[in-house]
Amino acid sequence: MMLDVLDACKYAVKKALELGATEVEGFAAGGKEINVSIERNEIKMGKSQELSGIGVRVILDHSLGFASVNNLTKAEIAKTAENAVGLAKRAPPLKFNELPGVKPVRKVEGLYDPRSKDFTMDDALENATKLLKTAKDYDPRVTVDSGYFSADVGRSAVANSSGVEASEEACAFTHVILGMAVEADDVSSFDYRFNGTRRVDEIEVETSARALAETVVNSLGAKKTESFKGTVILNPNTVVDLLAPVIVFSTNSNAVQKGMSRFAGRIDDKVASEDLTVRDDGLIPGGLGSSSFDREGLPHRPLPIIEKGVLKNFLYNTLTAKKEERESTGHASGGISGPPRIAPTNLMIEPGDADIDSLIGETTKGVIISRFSGDPDPISGDFSGAVKGGYLVENGEKMSPIKETLVAGNVFELLNEISGISKETERIMSFIAPWVRLENVSVTSA
Amino acid sequence: MLKKCLSSFSGDYAEMRFHERKSTYIRMAAGELEDASYLKNAGVGVRALVDGSWGFSSTNVLERSAIESGLRDAEKAAKVASQNRTEKVEGLAGIELAKGTFRPVVNDPVENHSLEEKMNLVIEAEKTAKDESKNVKSAISVYSELVDRKIVANTDGAEFELHDVKPEFYVYAIASENGDRVAAAKTASVTGGWKDLWRRKEPQQLALDACDLASKLLHAKHAKGEAATVILEPSLVGLISHEAIGHTVEADFVLSGSITKGKLGQKLASELVTLVDSGNPPEDSHGTGNVLVDDEGVPARTTRIIEDGVLKSYLHDRETALMFETEPTGNARAFEHTDEPIIRMTNTYILPGDHSLEEMIEDVKEGYLMRGAGGGQADSNAEFMFEVDEAYRIEKGEVKELLRGVTISGQAFDVLKSVDAIGKDFLLDIGVGYCGKFQRAKVDGGGGAVRCKAIIGGRQEG
Repeated sequence: MMLDVLDACKYAVKKALELGATEVEGFAAGGKEINVSIERNEIKMGKSQELSGIGVRVILDHSLGFASVNNLTKAEIAKTAENAVGLAKRAPPLKFNELPGVKPVRKVEGLYDPRSKDFTMDDALENATKLLKTAKDYDPRVTVDSGYFSADVGRSAVANSSGVEASEEACAFTHVILGMAVEADDVSSFDYRFNGTRRVDEIEVETSARALAETVVNSLGAKKTESFKGTVILNPNTVVDLLAPVIVFSTNSNAVQKGMSRFAGRIDDKVASEDLTVRDDGLIPGGLGSSSFDREGLPHRPLPIIEKGVLKNFLYNTLTAKKEERESTGHASGGISGPPRIAPTNLMIEPGDADIDSLIGETTKGVIISRFSGDPDPISGDFSGAVKGGYLVENGEKMSPIKETLVAGNVFELLNEISGISKETERIMSFIAPWVRLENVSVTSA
Repeated sequence: MLKKCLSSFSGDYAEMRFHERKSTYIRMAAGELEDASYLKNAGVGVRALVDGSWGFSSTNVLERSAIESGLRDAEKAAKVASQNRTEKVEGLAGIELAKGTFRPVVNDPVENHSLEEKMNLVIEAEKTAKDESKNVKSAISVYSELVDRKIVANTDGAEFELHDVKPEFYVYAIASENGDRVAAAKTASVTGGWKDLWRRKEPQQLALDACDLASKLLHAKHAKGEAATVILEPSLVGLISHEAIGHTVEADFVLSGSITKGKLGQKLASELVTLVDSGNPPEDSHGTGNVLVDDEGVPARTTRIIEDGVLKSYLHDRETALMFETEPTGNARAFEHTDEPIIRMTNTYILPGDHSLEEMIEDVKEGYLMRGAGGGQADSNAEFMFEVDEAYRIEKGEVKELLRGVTISGQAFDVLKSVDAIGKDFLLDIGVGYCGKFQRAKVDGGGGAVRCKAIIGGRQEG
């Protein structure tokens, strides 16, 4: 017999305490996934499965142990509690290892849509088909390599030995589409789009499909360009891929405390151009990054991260907050398969006052980037990667698509080189981002 | 039991895969044990081919009724998907499927080493990396292992049990000075045992090497962007073979229109180049991508993707093999029981040549010697860009200074066409971490060192 998620957490707490744990936390999740996948321009497969599991965090004289299992039977939970206690017995202590006490949690609305219960495989098929067909109908040269539409409905719960007990039901309808354009021997850059919602009546896949199709078709016939140092205009996707990871890493209190963040010791310093404001808010009704409580059962709270270029706050969970004798900001994150880490919830880069056309129109020489291929190094901020779905801009005009072009620089330096942010923003999963224009970026061509 | 559950099935094909995974993960960062976890994940994944379409379901309840209900769910899902499928799956290529029990070559099983020993090793490595140099103020060390057991049965006669063990270790050292920070990593990973994991270098040595490299990178200059002659050591050869070539020959990707579509039999690389994918490479290489039998029951084989420069084969599962009228290549893999098998690489590498590394360097007037695969990406047109951990300038046949922030890019087939020498020392060396394609997979890659032409990325000054 599988236990309910909250009962499973409480049972894990009880068992681990019996085995000698000083403190215990159980985090459990269970639910159903319905998924229809796409492969090589065809519907590929229907998938339906129920998943459940629990992660047990044990603290024994300030030593940490963690174990998890994909099962909520009493026997498996008891074994998992024993494994976590066993690990804690062998681990070196860290005096800050403590679990949080109870904090009032306010329910965030819009995370669960009761209509999700009636969502069927046929509904998923209809949306996957729409995703595929919209991209194909846009232009016959579009080829959809893969993708899926997925409906996930489930409940998560957390309970600890200090009295925290919380559970919540949520659903999410997400999709991904990957593809390219092919014309004779010319194969375009590959690109992808993804998005999602928590409301059945807000499910919408056509925007992603059309955006993908437009980008890959337009990058057919791409030409090499010359090398120069100049302006780069990032679309919201690229802002999320290039700038956001470095900001997220550097404002993670764990990275700050361990000497890995360039933002360490710089609260209230100017770290970016005045145009840049970044906030995190896990309480947005219906937000894909929202929840009523974090991985440790604490409430989220809206947090200014960078305000008009000035660094305001780092993100904390209970462990990192204890080290500085402060409160967690409610950013404990993760699932059943590891101890809580730290992550943003819904991360928002505030819009500016320019429109996209003027960002391009004011540019003497630059490149528009639809996708950045490469991983910025979050520690040094150095990045070097390929421009995908890129265009050359000359004297305010969007010119030919470009290929085999690299951009390189340092994100920390470029945060101070922002010369414009668009009014328009896009919501991409749990991110909201505008277009951002940067100056003095190295562009290298073959 | 799985066979009994299949006996009631009336569709075209069905398979059942029991998969139990026990994994350990230990992570030490800046003097703090951040994670010491033991994870167990077990269940049965069921895949069915009905009405020319696929359906999948899984259960974590290991009872006959739950598994049979999973089979019904998979059948139902296949029937629904089939409604909007224009071209049906024709069938699966026939081949002798595996029977019996399969075990990897293991010297000194990881299970014989205690948690304390693994924990201490991680703690010591992090301490060593941090204490060795005044510039390295922070370090991370990680040990993890996947211990797998699978039992697979399908309606085409596969019936086997597969054991697998993949341990890995890495150290990441972060050097800093005057607000400038730079990181370097050293890794070890295998399919095999404890002794196999440390066969090249002991963990303490990896920690020292990571520390040494990070402090040197701190004072290294950035490269300038240019097209250049480069010598790639096996890690980067593996990365290019896997990311930039390998993905473009996965048959599912070929069918969507990858750059290699319709090019079988064409010369796409220098005749020095023979590039293969093998789930069972030479025994002593202990490739992290070893897969003795794939999840459709196809035994491992060595697929010659490029032979003497000519494109010879794609990588197949049984479905695409039938479409191409060829044999499946043992590349149908699922990460966990909740995943369906899809075409994935195993160990992808370039066969060694006859040059020593010294000989390859000697002939280079101006160029670069590169080692250590960092992050990066490759595209459907085989354009790639990778970060290089360690890049040295070569001048008049001599290795000169270390450079930082270096990337290598180009069109992979153009790069392989420019190959004029291949090293004789063979290594699989990209096994740490995972390859992502909707699911994760453990893979590896390598080869002999390769001398070729590529684009070096760096900063454009002024």
